[in-house]
Amino acid sequence: MTFREATAEQVGGAAVLVGSTRQGRGGLRKQLRLLPVYILLALGGTFALVPFIWMLSTSLKSQAQLFVFPPEWIPDPVLWSNYAEAWNALPFSAMLMNTIFVTALAMFGELASASLVAYGFARFHFPFRNALFVLMLSTMMLPWVVTLIPSFIIWRVLGQINTYDPLTVGSLFAWGPFYIFLLRQFFQTVSREIEEAAIVDGANSMQVFWHVMLPLVKPVLLAVAVLSFQGNWNNFRGALIYLQQPLERFTMPLGLQFFQASLSNEAPRWHYMMAMSGLMALPIIVLFFLAQRQFIEGIQLGGVKG
Amino acid sequence: MPQQLQWYASTLSHYVGAAVAIVALMWLTNRGLRRLGLRGDAAMGLALVVPWLLGFLIWNAGPIVASLYFSFTDYNVLQAPKVVGLANYEKLISGDPNFWPSVRLTMAYSALTVPIGLVGSVAAAIMLNQGVKGIGLWRTLYYLPAILPAFVTALLWRLMFLPTRGGLVNSATEPIWSLFSDKPPGWFLDRDMLLWGFVIMSFWGVFGANTVIVLAGLKNIPRDLYEAASVDGAGVLARVRHITLPQLSPTLFYLIVMGIIAAVQVFDQPLFIQLPPGSPTFLNVYLYQQGFTLFQMGYASAIAWFMFVIILVLTLAVFRSSTAWVYYESEAKR
Amino acid sequence: MVAMERRRWALPTITLSIVLIAAACGSGGGTAAPPGGSGASAGTGASPAGEKVTFRLTTWAGEDEAKELQELVLDKINAEATDFEIVHEPAPADYYTKLQTTIAGGTGADFMWLSQEYVAGYASRGALLDLTAHLAAVDNPAAKLDGYFPDVIKPAKYQDKVYGLPWIAQPVILYYNPKLFDAAGIDPPDDTWDWAKFRETAVELTKDDQYGFTANGWPPIQQFIWQAGGEVITDDLSSSPIDSPEAMEAVEFYKSLVWNEECCPTEETITEQGFGEMFKAGKVAMFMGGAADTFDGLDVVGATVVPKGPENRANLSYVAVTAVNSATKNPELAAKALAALTDGIHHWKIVAPRPELATAEVILASIPEKWKAQKEGQVDAIVAATEEMRAFNVIPRHQEWDGLFWSEFQDPVFHDKSAPAEAAPTAREKLEALLP
Repeated sequence: MTFREATAEQVGGAAVLVGSTRQGRGGLRKQLRLLPVYILLALGGTFALVPFIWMLSTSLKSQAQLFVFPPEWIPDPVLWSNYAEAWNALPFSAMLMNTIFVTALAMFGELASASLVAYGFARFHFPFRNALFVLMLSTMMLPWVVTLIPSFIIWRVLGQINTYDPLTVGSLFAWGPFYIFLLRQFFQTVSREIEEAAIVDGANSMQVFWHVMLPLVKPVLLAVAVLSFQGNWNNFRGALIYLQQPLERFTMPLGLQFFQASLSNEAPRWHYMMAMSGLMALPIIVLFFLAQRQFIEGIQLGGVKG
Repeated sequence: MPQQLQWYASTLSHYVGAAVAIVALMWLTNRGLRRLGLRGDAAMGLALVVPWLLGFLIWNAGPIVASLYFSFTDYNVLQAPKVVGLANYEKLISGDPNFWPSVRLTMAYSALTVPIGLVGSVAAAIMLNQGVKGIGLWRTLYYLPAILPAFVTALLWRLMFLPTRGGLVNSATEPIWSLFSDKPPGWFLDRDMLLWGFVIMSFWGVFGANTVIVLAGLKNIPRDLYEAASVDGAGVLARVRHITLPQLSPTLFYLIVMGIIAAVQVFDQPLFIQLPPGSPTFLNVYLYQQGFTLFQMGYASAIAWFMFVIILVLTLAVFRSSTAWVYYESEAKR
Repeated sequence: MVAMERRRWALPTITLSIVLIAAACGSGGGTAAPPGGSGASAGTGASPAGEKVTFRLTTWAGEDEAKELQELVLDKINAEATDFEIVHEPAPADYYTKLQTTIAGGTGADFMWLSQEYVAGYASRGALLDLTAHLAAVDNPAAKLDGYFPDVIKPAKYQDKVYGLPWIAQPVILYYNPKLFDAAGIDPPDDTWDWAKFRETAVELTKDDQYGFTANGWPPIQQFIWQAGGEVITDDLSSSPIDSPEAMEAVEFYKSLVWNEECCPTEETITEQGFGEMFKAGKVAMFMGGAADTFDGLDVVGATVVPKGPENRANLSYVAVTAVNSATKNPELAAKALAALTDGIHHWKIVAPRPELATAEVILASIPEKWKAQKEGQVDAIVAATEEMRAFNVIPRHQEWDGLFWSEFQDPVFHDKSAPAEAAPTAREKLEALLP
């Protein structure tokens, strides 16, 4: 298993998706009453947004414009060409393909395995269940630094260094405890009665899982999908350790590193790095924006009481 | 391109092979355990957790045991480890002048970021839950900070927190800091200030993610509770205190546990923001330096287990205390 | 019905999965190396006759540097060599993490760049190949150890055995901003300057928002201790006499510069405005930097050798080495390939660590077009500086030693937390505990 540092941030996304909304009812008067709320929200939103705007602004500057005083929000001239230059400085087209390949496989693996395991933890009574569950959670508490080399040796023994295996195949073995935890919580909220009704109809456990449980937690599955996409799409350290050469084999986060200062005297190429970071963030933003509607719909249709 | 396809095909074949093997093993487990006389329920449950169990045994158990073993050895990574008993733990407790300052910095960071992040995100979520227009956009906006890779976040903030007058943050806040000093704050280059730089940065990062978690929790609070309270004439603050917070407590509990795990292990941000020489660093970075710069993986492993215990103790403490303040629907019904 | 169907599938499923696992393990054994160089192990094997042996080279080269290395060095070598090929594996970030993990995991590259402080550490831990005998058999100027600056080959050795070839030796020179000197009506520095003259001029040039010099731990204090005739680690690696009278003299002099308002910006000002940035912005008149440094924002930058200390004009040489993995499969051929690679880099980087290449013509040819105008005038100073450059005396636990030297000695002394004479003996004791 390549380590992927799952963090609370990753889990955060899930909730958005899961939360249903009841859109504001009430008319103009209510909206007026909410004015202070809007102001505060806008302040917080600015805090969230400013770094992104600065990122965009930096990505459009020349090396010489990077550190001018006073800081410029809109550089003159605006160098859209940075995007093309950064893209062509390294084989980013190949890296994009690789990143898509790795992300797709790892995401599918995580979703499939985590939902099965979570279903097992949520709905069945078996010996040592709680102990195993705690064991699973505690694997998050040991820093990856010390497990890095043993994990690497395992992949070496399997002969899969400099292949995509360490970034993908491990996902089938439910490598993300966060996702299992999250899915388990939601499986537990599904009423037993729905399940029992299906069993009375003659369905076996796997049929219940496939035809009853999965559709009911579809919103959460989508949430996990977004998080998983994000985690694998951005996976830098796994790629660093396991991929060696040529550049065409690298993934995009690894490519980004080339714009950072190396041990040599090369100055960091902030503008290129920010341009590529922005491009990399784009699919996630779009996915998130589109997905959140889906989730809400899913909740309303599925009738899950979150 | 054909070369790339070859790489993909190789990985794909292993992937499919592993998937089929896992399914087969699950099937065999279920069958085998039933034949051995286990209840169907138990056999099925165990069969379902087989993927994780396999992954744990192959990729986690080994490394965890290995790191525990390394913590009792002198292991320079390049040569076989030599057993030294408790020496690494002794060094950590009394022989290393840089260790405890790192612990203090990490603990201060955790003690600040977890509650500040929690309060900020609860406040933001409550506001987002007031039926504002364009909720989809707002939510996306508040989620934005969570989507960048950690190292990009770190580099971006390093750029904004440039310690010069021309740094974005410093030039924007000049009217404020110029009241107290004629020199702009040094942020990440100032030993006394860097903690605050990290706290602000982490607030930005967690703000988005935590806010949406809390929002989800808020959505699950039944409306009728509020309606009943309004009938009783409870004010806004009373409603927050007696309805919102208790109902939200399972979510907060979850956020605190995850927040502690993430905060104590903070790594990418301090790694990519170079701290001034001589300054204490964060625990995870410190142990990384021990292992990968100073060739002391044995000592690094001991620090890792120290961290593991810290997180475990904190988590257990939160779990223990949770009976007093976390309100579970299922318990109430009983 | 469902159960029936399941049973019918069971046997084929299991058979198939076993076959697939076997196949996965089989191909995993390292038999089928993926095209384009496999990571199975260092030096992908002895090749059948006529086929090139592939050597893997890992470096910290960033985007531009990696491209130049490929185009200016590797492509040429690979085209000329009949029996080997060198494949580049750049890892610009987290370089040493990747290096250690891959070596520990048994898949380290055959050739690796190491900064001078690292060679002894890696060699003493058995990670590097002893090249002494292999290099002697190679017919290439870069393989002749006596062709290198004697002091620069030193960090490539550990216990008298050679573990790599230096590919760069960048001396520290004194850069200056001619405009500031003209404006003050002061003659720019030259090779007649000593410490006293240097400090005196730095003080003269300091006024308002302008400073004569700048120091904040760089330039390294070692250089000044050497110039006074002292040592921080002796040649035989047996002691760290940082409390010697020579060292004390140098420390006192360094302390009269570092963050001292009379001649230099304070620590706060440096933090605020950036160390190198202040020189680029024309606020600092003199700056010590590596010979390859370039300064955007300045049209003309003068350069000369560093001022002479009480004993000599030693300056620190930034040395980096290409070392060979002890697990490489074909040591003789590796030595040959290493020599070819090193010779190639010597014609690319400023400054080659060999006197015959550290000439004005070669250096001039190595300067990228973009910086020709700024650096042309500095070439003579660079050449002169190579004559008195020095590398560190390196011990296996050098990083640790370095960390202590800063935290136990330089940091408290520079910050006036303790007097040099007080801090030195206790620091010396701790430092010497790390010596081999």
